[in-house]
Amino acid sequence: MPSWDEFQPFIVTGLALGGVYALSGVGMVVLYQTTGVLNLAFGAVGAMGALISWQLINEAGWPDWPAYLVCIGFGAVVTLVYGVVFGPPLAGRDPLIKATATLGLALILLGAMSWIWSDKARSLDLPTTQEEAFEVGTIFVNWTQVIALALGVVVTAWTTAFLRFTKLGAAMRALATDREITATLGVPVRRVEASAWLVSGLLSGVSGLLLSNLVGLDATTLTFLVISSLAAALIARLRSLGVTLLAGLAVGVVNALATPINSISEYRDMAPFVLATIALLWLSRRREISFARAGGSL
Amino acid sequence: MSAAGAHGVAPSWWSPGRLDQRTRIQLVVIAALLAFTLFALPARMSAYWTDVATAVAIFSVVSLGLATLMGRVGLVSLGQISVLALGAWVAARLAFATSLPFPVVLIAAGLITMVLGTLVGLPALRLSGLYLALITLMLAGAIGVVLASTDFPNGAGGFLGHSESSFGNPGVRRPSIATSDSAYFRYTIVVSALMFLLALVHVRAKPGRAWAAIRQSEPAALAAGVNITLYKIWAFALASFMTGVAGGLLAGSVGHLFTTQFPTSQNIVLLAVVLMGGIYSLWGAVVAGMLIKLLPALLDNWGLPADLLTILFGVGVLQVLTTAPAGLVAQVPRDLGRLGSALAGLVRGGRGPEHGAATSEEPAAPAGRERPPPVSQRGAE
Repeated sequence: MPSWDEFQPFIVTGLALGGVYALSGVGMVVLYQTTGVLNLAFGAVGAMGALISWQLINEAGWPDWPAYLVCIGFGAVVTLVYGVVFGPPLAGRDPLIKATATLGLALILLGAMSWIWSDKARSLDLPTTQEEAFEVGTIFVNWTQVIALALGVVVTAWTTAFLRFTKLGAAMRALATDREITATLGVPVRRVEASAWLVSGLLSGVSGLLLSNLVGLDATTLTFLVISSLAAALIARLRSLGVTLLAGLAVGVVNALATPINSISEYRDMAPFVLATIALLWLSRRREISFARAGGSL
Repeated sequence: MSAAGAHGVAPSWWSPGRLDQRTRIQLVVIAALLAFTLFALPARMSAYWTDVATAVAIFSVVSLGLATLMGRVGLVSLGQISVLALGAWVAARLAFATSLPFPVVLIAAGLITMVLGTLVGLPALRLSGLYLALITLMLAGAIGVVLASTDFPNGAGGFLGHSESSFGNPGVRRPSIATSDSAYFRYTIVVSALMFLLALVHVRAKPGRAWAAIRQSEPAALAAGVNITLYKIWAFALASFMTGVAGGLLAGSVGHLFTTQFPTSQNIVLLAVVLMGGIYSLWGAVVAGMLIKLLPALLDNWGLPADLLTILFGVGVLQVLTTAPAGLVAQVPRDLGRLGSALAGLVRGGRGPEHGAATSEEPAAPAGRERPPPVSQRGAE
């Protein structure tokens, strides 16, 4: 068993990664609550945005920051367009079908990415990674890690406040309860849903950018990292933003802490799956999980 | 079957006296197709295409498992390729460790996979719909992580049966009656046909009716006295068994198994092709097998990148879910029918294509039991 000193750096890595998981988890939960769509293409959108940024910086010679903005913008636009085009026709269907449909988008993006950028090793280094922010004890912390954790916390807090105190937030919460009744109350349902898609898309772009830096710029890896953030969202039962944040941090830290322990190091990437599975089964022991609406068939 | 025989009543799925013309035609077509694939096809195919055809047959069985879960019971599994990998692992391990006859290895692989699949399914069945699908996705990820470090057996000793030094070993053995590629292709076709028969038996008999009831409405099925948990587990067990057998076939087909043959993304691709093929018809599974294995080979042959297919499958998923829930199997005949009437309308010079197309709307729906359930509307409970 490694000593405490050996664990310390991994706590920093874990918290940074957990912050991004929380960020993506919040993006998915807000969208799911508002539209009933669990966006499984969340990771793919972010991955493609990050690859486009890489292309702009390394091939087209763009300066860094506009390229990063393009990444975030790409996430927002693709997600919004998908939501506007496919949201309404599928609005009355089962959540399972809505989630399955987003897998279609994931496949399209995945195919496009591996077609345009073949599986060559790439890296996207944010300028914030090179600068050392400060030291905690003997551990170096870089700015990207600080930003990742801070964004996770800030976005969670901001979204919670937004849902609670603004008119649009109230409309979103109403939609989460019942779409039809909300519509009869005079809420412009499609516009509210579109804004949820937009916010979720922005978050997917930001997390794609951060993850490509913290984990690596690889289309498949980034696409399926969505499972880890999904784990955080699932532990929160796709409902509570605060729990999503804590679960995201927990998943990230457990994942990272397993790294220095040789016997389980190889299996550390199972952390999100194991945690989420245990949490789901525990939560469903009295069938407390919210069930899909009637007619679960495809 | 034996129970039905004891009462002197033919089981409901086998009643030759009541075969209507449509069924008879179908039987003749199936027999002709099987005869063609078994006797005429192998001699006409190069080694490459024999491999491709074998893979198509194997993946038809995998698709059949998933299509049964989705179309018959309404459960979505996003981890079937991982189950396939599990089946292949078990079959390879058994084939290296024992000298059991190949059919026994296949059945054992199927049964062990079935037990594992059911164990996973047992707690997960308390969840429903979306959550069950997500759990299977997580488990697929977990199996992927485990396989990445254990790797597939390659003839070494120990429980895992894998070592870096054993790479020169011969691959998983094939049955003694089917060592050549074309013989193994025939063998695969026969086993796959048996799996389809197994699925058909289930669909036509009591489990099929129970599944249909569950798919329509769980509360109604419960009220009608259907043991929901039993039949859901049954469906999981059946799908895992078929996928496990397919894994065994795959192990024998490729000989040397690698984790790169089972990427996580393939789980999603499988879901896409099964949806595109059509989940309400057994033929859909055959179409799905072709989509996932034959199309990439064709594209490769034409020098086109296989990534185009991934994009196409993504578009296919969106198209199927928004417009054609019964998949290609139902859509192509319907659209051809529409086209036919439109052309006929043009030739007659009557009211034009619109009129013809409108009248062909009704026969479009697939006949009888194959008809998909009505699209569930929000608040229709």
